[in-house]
Amino acid sequence: MPVPILRQADLLVATIQASLSDQDLVRFRDDLAREIGRARSTGVVIDVTALDVLDSFASRVLRTIAHTARLRGATTVVVGIQPGVALAMVQLGVSLEGIPTALDFEDGIALLRGRRRKKAHEEGAHGG
Amino acid sequence: MASTSSMVFAAPSFMTEMGLTEHDIQRRVQIAGLTSEDLARIRAIRELVERDVGRHADAFFDYLASLTEAKRLFERRDVLERARALKREHLIAMVQGDYGRAYVEERVELAILYSKASLEPRVFLAAFRCLMRSVGAAISARFAGQPGQGFEHYASFEKIAFFDVSLIIDVIVFERERIIHQQQEAIQELSTPVLPVRERTLLLPIIGVIDTARARLLTDSLLRAIRANRARVAVMDVTGVATIDSKTANHLLQTVAAARLMGASVIITGLSPEVAQALVAIGINLERLTTVGDLRGGMELAEEIVRMRTVPRDDVRDEDA
Amino acid sequence: MAADIVVPIEHEQDIVMARQQGRQLVAEMGFSSTEQTLVATAISEVARNILMYARHGEIVLTALQSENRRGIEVVARDEGPGIANPALALTDGYSTSGRLGLGLPGARRLMDELDLATVPGEGTTVTLRKWAP
Repeated sequence: MPVPILRQADLLVATIQASLSDQDLVRFRDDLAREIGRARSTGVVIDVTALDVLDSFASRVLRTIAHTARLRGATTVVVGIQPGVALAMVQLGVSLEGIPTALDFEDGIALLRGRRRKKAHEEGAHGG
Repeated sequence: MASTSSMVFAAPSFMTEMGLTEHDIQRRVQIAGLTSEDLARIRAIRELVERDVGRHADAFFDYLASLTEAKRLFERRDVLERARALKREHLIAMVQGDYGRAYVEERVELAILYSKASLEPRVFLAAFRCLMRSVGAAISARFAGQPGQGFEHYASFEKIAFFDVSLIIDVIVFERERIIHQQQEAIQELSTPVLPVRERTLLLPIIGVIDTARARLLTDSLLRAIRANRARVAVMDVTGVATIDSKTANHLLQTVAAARLMGASVIITGLSPEVAQALVAIGINLERLTTVGDLRGGMELAEEIVRMRTVPRDDVRDEDA
Repeated sequence: MAADIVVPIEHEQDIVMARQQGRQLVAEMGFSSTEQTLVATAISEVARNILMYARHGEIVLTALQSENRRGIEVVARDEGPGIANPALALTDGYSTSGRLGLGLPGARRLMDELDLATVPGEGTTVTLRKWAP
């Protein structure tokens, strides 16, 4: 079952369902790459609230997805990591290093907008 | 079974909690050592027991009534009547020859009732002995000319009795331990409060010794509170902590990292030079933590973080930065 | 000791089944939601190792009872290539990207006990245990 990717202004939003297969994840990565190009998005919010386990495989895929998005000029934010899942990830030693995380969808959007503002500000300040 | 109403639903879930599975029940029956001869003898004394069931059950309760330790059971008339009725039903069930799940459920139900009335095992056992004596006397009278037979029949009945008693005692003990456990948890929770002090800000004042158990509780409380309060920052004040061992320190580091995954920054305040040194000695890299000298400074930083929606520099290192 | 739950691991859906069964088992024992997740994650890791390195194997879940503590035992068994250097596999030497290494040190952190038995060319058995606090 494909992951639906929705547009929110210049951002893309995707909600990962609990029953996602490995194949679905790979397909999602490709779909996302395409959508980013099509929509010229600068940011992606991936909601993993429904995931009750985020193991080393899943986090590897997320990093790949974020990397793919980055190559297309978009920043990825992962939101909705549950308390138990967060602790399990830390104990397991998996890292989402490189990917910012936020509590929920709302904060994820705010984070992306804030970065964009910050970046624009810095570029402006450097006389860009 | 007439008046069992609401209580009978408590037994099955209680049994699951206790680990009283089908397998466990069968094992108990095996341990009781019931043979077909036993069952035959029990059949033989069935009518005898049923005929005077009221008197035998009364032997149990009359003895309890004489003990101050059992007075709670006699406080409420409806509870007492219920217990009496169940006791009579149980006595009858004891000599029916079927000792499966339904039989066990009835006993557990009665035991739960005893437990709620704070009936101690020693009190219960003393009263139960009176009941056994009453039944024993009846059996003895029935086999007046054959004491050997009388003894065998009593011994068979006794096997069922011991089966029952083991169940009831185990339930009472389990319930008691569960209450103690709950109290301990309540105490622990009180000692690791997580306070939502400001918008999207949590304060954790930690006092005393943090051991692994407390650290675990802290982690759970903090992460849940982050979600419930949509917290962006948690200020953990350790002014009142004298020492932390390496296991606990590592656990706290994990907590900070997990909080970060949930989008919250953790600020540690009140870290004494001694504790800081101890942490460094263990190998904890303090640079990975955001620490501020005192609580006030920590709260100010927290406010800034929430207001500016910025992330402290030494937090997430990401591709953008 | 109750009956074992055996989950054959042949496809990735089996990984999900194994961890769901594990979660349910410890939930019945009264493990907290967080602890359930830790167990489910550990199961996910070792089950995935089976798929990745041995193609097929099984996960056996057993409810444990010791004194008055309850716990779960997870046995991940396969007849795959085995682990050439078990000592190394148990140390946190590799980067946390998880690409290298089997995540065994991580799995041990998630659980309370870990035992590793492996014979190169014959197979591997990873045994994990976690107790209710």
